[in-house]
Amino acid sequence: MIRRHLWTRIYSRVNGQTMIRTIRHMTLWAALAASLAAFVYSAGALYGIHHDNDLIRQLTSGKDVAVNKVISGEPELRLARAFYFQQKHRYDEALSTLSLIMDKGDRKFQAKARYNLGNLYLEQAVQQAKTMNINEALPLAGLAKQAYRQALALDSGNWDAKYNLEVAMRLLPEMDRVDMPDDEPNNQKSQLWTTVPGFPRGLP
Amino acid sequence: MRIVLILVLSLLGCSGSIDEPVSYFNVETPRPFGYVIGDEIPQRIVIETRSGISLQPGSLPAKGQINRWLNLNQVTVKQSGRRYQIDLRYQVFYAPLAVKSLTLPGFTVQFSQGEKSIGQSVPAWTFTLSPLRELVARQTEQGEYMRPDSPPSLLANTQTLYGLAASLSVAALIAAYLSYLYGCFPDRLRRTLFKQALRKLAGLSKSDMEQALTLVHRVLNSLNGQPLFHNRLSQFYRRNPQYLQVSSRLDWFFNYSNRYFFSDGMIVVTQDLQQLKDLCEQCRKIERGSQ
Repeated sequence: MIRRHLWTRIYSRVNGQTMIRTIRHMTLWAALAASLAAFVYSAGALYGIHHDNDLIRQLTSGKDVAVNKVISGEPELRLARAFYFQQKHRYDEALSTLSLIMDKGDRKFQAKARYNLGNLYLEQAVQQAKTMNINEALPLAGLAKQAYRQALALDSGNWDAKYNLEVAMRLLPEMDRVDMPDDEPNNQKSQLWTTVPGFPRGLP
Repeated sequence: MRIVLILVLSLLGCSGSIDEPVSYFNVETPRPFGYVIGDEIPQRIVIETRSGISLQPGSLPAKGQINRWLNLNQVTVKQSGRRYQIDLRYQVFYAPLAVKSLTLPGFTVQFSQGEKSIGQSVPAWTFTLSPLRELVARQTEQGEYMRPDSPPSLLANTQTLYGLAASLSVAALIAAYLSYLYGCFPDRLRRTLFKQALRKLAGLSKSDMEQALTLVHRVLNSLNGQPLFHNRLSQFYRRNPQYLQVSSRLDWFFNYSNRYFFSDGMIVVTQDLQQLKDLCEQCRKIERGSQ
């Protein structure tokens, strides 16, 4: 009852025009505050991106950064750290870093992470094949192929992945050959050797 | 005559085009050569059927691995009336040593007409695949040549920059409007006084002389900051010396206004209104700074 009485008094004092003006001013002030808040937020985000990009540049140029800076950041930072480990041939650390970001980011990012993972396996497979550690090289080449295929399924325009998949396929040829009717029939012999890893060193 | 009739009837029976369940069938594929490992090959199948016949989606090849070297990445079926457009996207993962001919397997698309089932076979499609590497690949110090790791890309800041610019401009606009509402631009307002007066004067005729004179008085008052009378013109000129060049016209205005409001039998002619407009034109030029 008292409240109603109060409102009636206020309405009687303030005419419609003043009300509209007050509402307009309040709305404008609120909009100003909101846009300033958005500005401060964007500025903070921009600073964060700048800082992260500095870290990525540092890692790419071959300098390590503290792990806690990477953990809290974007998945690109982890990819950069895995890249750094790969350059230094620290394969286990690179693998554990990469495995954390496999499902993060957009398609392009995922394709890139899988391509780098494939490279990680293929490098090791090539090294093992070079020292004739066939049992080690086989599963690594298989994993590399799998990673490249996934990368190409995500981004079929990745030429580096195509090339390296072919490297991996030559290292470990597929079990079942595709025989077209017009193919030469003398590939019966070569089928025996299809799973032995190694590259052709010269023409016969 | 009877022979001709029998012949025509038998020909009609042979044609059978009316009863065919599939009235149009076409497989569209791109070039059959020049593919490399990892390439995607699109295949479009366009089928038009008779009414009452519907496609059985289960008869299309399933998405996923078809064989060791071929994947089906995407299957899309678009139906518009009796026309079906089936888009298949294959991806090939074969590493040939030389240019090799491969085949996309054929399949049969099933249609149902009531309880009856009709099949339309899509033929196999042969294409050639080329290798990317030479047979005896080059070697590097590490061994086999392979493409290097892909360096991480820098984080994009374009969107944040747009956000920053947008929020800043919105804030600036609101701030400018608020300061205008709170009267922070008196100079700007004073510079458009005669512009507004001219606009209003344009709509007045000689019968509205009272209104026109009041308008010019009001404008001069606003410019002066307080009511301006004939005897205070010298003070006005001291504050706004640029208006000295129209002093004679201003004198005429005050005299005319005095006569109009305080003496009887004043006859207004069109020339008076024109003179008033000329005064405002001159003052507009002064306020704009062009004179």
